[in-house]
Amino acid sequence: MSAIASSDRLTAWLNAVLLFFAGCVVMIPTLWMVLSSFKQSFEVTAYPPTLFFTPTLENYVSLSETTPFLHYAFNSMVVTTASTLLGLILGAPAAFVASWTRITWPAVVTLVARMAPGTLFLLPWYVMFRQVDMIGSYWALILTHAVITMPIVIWVLLPFFDNIPRSVYEAAQVDGCSPFRVFWRIALPLVTSGLAVSAILAFVFSWNYFLFALVLSNSDTKTLIAASFNFIGEGSTNWGALMAAATLIALPPLVLAVIVQRWLISGLTLGAVKG
Amino acid sequence: MASLSMRKLVKKYGDFTVIPDLDLEIPDHEFVVLVGPSGCGKSTLLRVLAGLESINGGDLFIGDQRVNDVPAAKRDIAMVFQDYALYPHMTVRQNMAFSLEMRGMTREEIAGRVERAAGLLHIGDFLDRRPKQLSGGQRQRVAMGRAIVRNPKVFLFDEPLSNLDAKLRAQVRAEIKALSQQLRTTMVFVTHDQVEAMTMADRIVVMKSGVIQQVGTPEEVYETPNNLFVAGFIGSPAMNFLPVTLGDGRARLADGRALPAEILGSGLAPSAGSGEGLVLGVRPEHFAVAPNDADALPVTVDLVEPLGSDTLVHFKLAETDAIARVSPDLRPKPGDTLPLIPVRGKALLFEQESGRAIR
Repeated sequence: MSAIASSDRLTAWLNAVLLFFAGCVVMIPTLWMVLSSFKQSFEVTAYPPTLFFTPTLENYVSLSETTPFLHYAFNSMVVTTASTLLGLILGAPAAFVASWTRITWPAVVTLVARMAPGTLFLLPWYVMFRQVDMIGSYWALILTHAVITMPIVIWVLLPFFDNIPRSVYEAAQVDGCSPFRVFWRIALPLVTSGLAVSAILAFVFSWNYFLFALVLSNSDTKTLIAASFNFIGEGSTNWGALMAAATLIALPPLVLAVIVQRWLISGLTLGAVKG
Repeated sequence: MASLSMRKLVKKYGDFTVIPDLDLEIPDHEFVVLVGPSGCGKSTLLRVLAGLESINGGDLFIGDQRVNDVPAAKRDIAMVFQDYALYPHMTVRQNMAFSLEMRGMTREEIAGRVERAAGLLHIGDFLDRRPKQLSGGQRQRVAMGRAIVRNPKVFLFDEPLSNLDAKLRAQVRAEIKALSQQLRTTMVFVTHDQVEAMTMADRIVVMKSGVIQQVGTPEEVYETPNNLFVAGFIGSPAMNFLPVTLGDGRARLADGRALPAEILGSGLAPSAGSGEGLVLGVRPEHFAVAPNDADALPVTVDLVEPLGSDTLVHFKLAETDAIARVSPDLRPKPGDTLPLIPVRGKALLFEQESGRAIR
């Protein structure tokens, strides 16, 4: 018994150490970013980095004065929310049908498309959108960002739908449901936590996606993440303002993730434990 | 309420034929039990009836309507699933009301029907609970409630008792039978448990490899099985099979010992052909302990299983393992010698090669 207990203690200790290192890898850059945003410009790039400094809001003030930050935030919110909704509207029925028919190759195709580098799509899309005069429109960004959100929705929801016993679908059919009604009345209400998880992941990925917005937006429709690129100049970079912008950009997904943490973890592990 | 008619029905999964060619008529109001071992096609047949599986050939009629291409939603059939398949996000009341809602019934009509069905099944007290708050037996009742609330043409049951414990199973079995007598709706019940089949059915359909082996009342299937498969499948413990040859008015076992031909049903011996290649079928309860009968065969008891109401005795007869059901008062012990003889007129005869019963 004592041998087992001490081996359990060792495992717990090793887990704690590994988690600590993993936490450091994730948290140090984030901490650096947040702290830097409160430093004066000359301190941001100082070497060795200063840990103790007099905090200032100088960077945030300069950010609000030099850029239409709220306008960019609005753009980001429009593009991200709409592309997340579009991803859900297209992805949820797609995942349901893939699970129902057990034909998953279309889902694999969407995943492959998602994994392909964005630059692959960029040129054809640029040409296409220019031909229909959509460059710089919200719709160009929303549609292209749906390519990011839809595969996430499909792949998060697939195990949720797979987890519903098939007989429940069949009972609904016998009860008089058309396939769409089975989806709407039975399947969808049973995967609400999956919908929440997929919506949040889709939101975060779309919010943070840089490349399409950089090329397909204009100064009116530029998203936050693309706008932050303005601070990186050819000659000099305003690191302080960049850090302040990055901190503000990271805030909405972070807040969302904290709010739905419990769902997020249970949703992400569902596929692994459904047995 | 409606009859069911299956004509030259074929069901395949890819190249694999589950049901090669099936004909079956189920009249209105009848309670039919499909029984057979795992993989015999009984559940597939039920799913075909429900419209959950398409067919590859033949015709299926519900009443006068050919339903080959009618989807499940439009067949007006209710089904109770093995795992109950209740909607987890709905209360018991919503579960039962759902199919009525789908048919566009009014709120009042739905409420009335749900209350009536709940009263019939004694589930009125937990109409507002969710399925996960119910025991297995209660869920089973809700599943039945969901089916009867519809007043459908046909009820289908797919092994609905297999997830219940033995005591509850017997109780629900009796309830379903009572319900069938009350509702007088055509019912098709699938099980691999021959006790369920015997106790509930108006008629039993015994299946093997997608082929119907026999259709008959429980008594017919038990007393006059069509072949060795049916004889061995129906009855517990299973029928004893002993290779015999007939001649000189006697049935001779493999070890040379003989039994009088009177143990067989009347007029059997003459139709037995050459008398070779036959199998004698004796149910365990059709062995009599007969110390005073000169024809009785002494057997040595190998194993005793007391069941309370009676006792099962295992022994070897002509090198074949056999079981007899005897009175518990006998209190046999392993090693004892018992004089056994099949009850006269009760033993059955089969062709060894084809398995066919000789009558």
